[in-house]
Amino acid sequence: MRAEVAEALPVEQGFDVTLSELAQLSGLDENELRELVDYGVFERLDSSAPTWRFGAQYVVLARKASRLQHDFELDAHSVAVLLGFVERIDALQREVVDLRAQVSTIRR
Amino acid sequence: MKYKDYYATLGVDRNASEDDIKKAYRKLARKYHPDVSKEANAEEKFKEMAEAYETLKDPEKRAAYDQLGRHSSGQEFQPPPGWAPQFGDGPSGFEDIDLADLLAGLAGGRRRGAGPRGNVPIPGSDYETAVTVGFDQAFHGGEIELDLQVVEHDANGFARRVPKNVKVRIPPGVTDGQKLRVPGKGGKGINGGRDGDLYLDIAVREHPLYRVSGRDVYIDLSLAPWEAVLGTEVEMPTPAGKVKLKVAPGTRAGHKLRLAGRGLAQRNEKPGDLYAIVQILVPTVVSDEERALYKKLAEASSFEPRAHFTVEERP
Repeated sequence: MRAEVAEALPVEQGFDVTLSELAQLSGLDENELRELVDYGVFERLDSSAPTWRFGAQYVVLARKASRLQHDFELDAHSVAVLLGFVERIDALQREVVDLRAQVSTIRR
Repeated sequence: MKYKDYYATLGVDRNASEDDIKKAYRKLARKYHPDVSKEANAEEKFKEMAEAYETLKDPEKRAAYDQLGRHSSGQEFQPPPGWAPQFGDGPSGFEDIDLADLLAGLAGGRRRGAGPRGNVPIPGSDYETAVTVGFDQAFHGGEIELDLQVVEHDANGFARRVPKNVKVRIPPGVTDGQKLRVPGKGGKGINGGRDGDLYLDIAVREHPLYRVSGRDVYIDLSLAPWEAVLGTEVEMPTPAGKVKLKVAPGTRAGHKLRLAGRGLAQRNEKPGDLYAIVQILVPTVVSDEERALYKKLAEASSFEPRAHFTVEERP
């Protein structure tokens, strides 16, 4: 019998999450998440809605925040600062990779 | 059960203070944490040191660990008699139990007594794993098979690491660094709790011909000088198959010839483009006849390749 093949989906697709779901999926508690929202790490889908909802792309970021907080024993503000640097380095590395792709590798 | 020397992992003495252990861990974490480090095998090394720190930072777990005595790392051993019962209902055997899971049971045992577990739904854990795929697989999508080691709890609530095989279909157009989610393929939920998800960190192997920038794909297209001057038609490989490409007369080195929609294409998204970057190669060895023709061309041509040298700086 052929084993079931599960579909892998881009994390951005398919769902958005409430504050409590984001807490459950990331391992952070809701107060820590609220604090990270205050520091601008996460943006709510609709800041005027009574229920806080977030795009699914924040699940990965929240999991990273949770790892940094736990593994480096940081408070929420330190996590926000560190995440800012990590994301900036990631963006610069992507830019380097993109620029390298556009440069010929043929040695003349 | 295999012994792990947690003190050696953190590089501290067996009588190190809590402060020494914390300092050693923090120093190593700064170097090897996979979210901030680009060291080779950072993730694997960090897992080892985090496991060591989880035990040694907790006085109760550290005392239990110390009772196991001294062994070499990787050596098979049995905990001393009476060691397991202090953690509640001890597991029936130690053969396939990981030392970290057993020590983690200490905290689990404490929690078990403290809160309601009974029939409360507990969601399964989410797992995250790195997956490297080839360029062709990233472009076209395809099935991959993952062999994971996951933690499952037995009837007594003790954790055991068990192998788990998962077949996953990767969608077409994935890019290096992209995260994918496989719903329901994480840990099993308990008491009706939802199953966890599996997260994949995608890395795409380099391809000898193609380079990726976002969803665009780049390839070098080398031309002979006369092809660039006179124009030509070349057969060129693309990830979706060969194409005939017209090169206009007077094409310069560095020109990017764009083939719209032939880059990476993700479902429901506009596909990227394929760019052929023109390079003009000159022969390093020429025959007497070719040399004569080049000389004739040099005499006949009024082309000035260094005209830009004459441009002066603005005042």
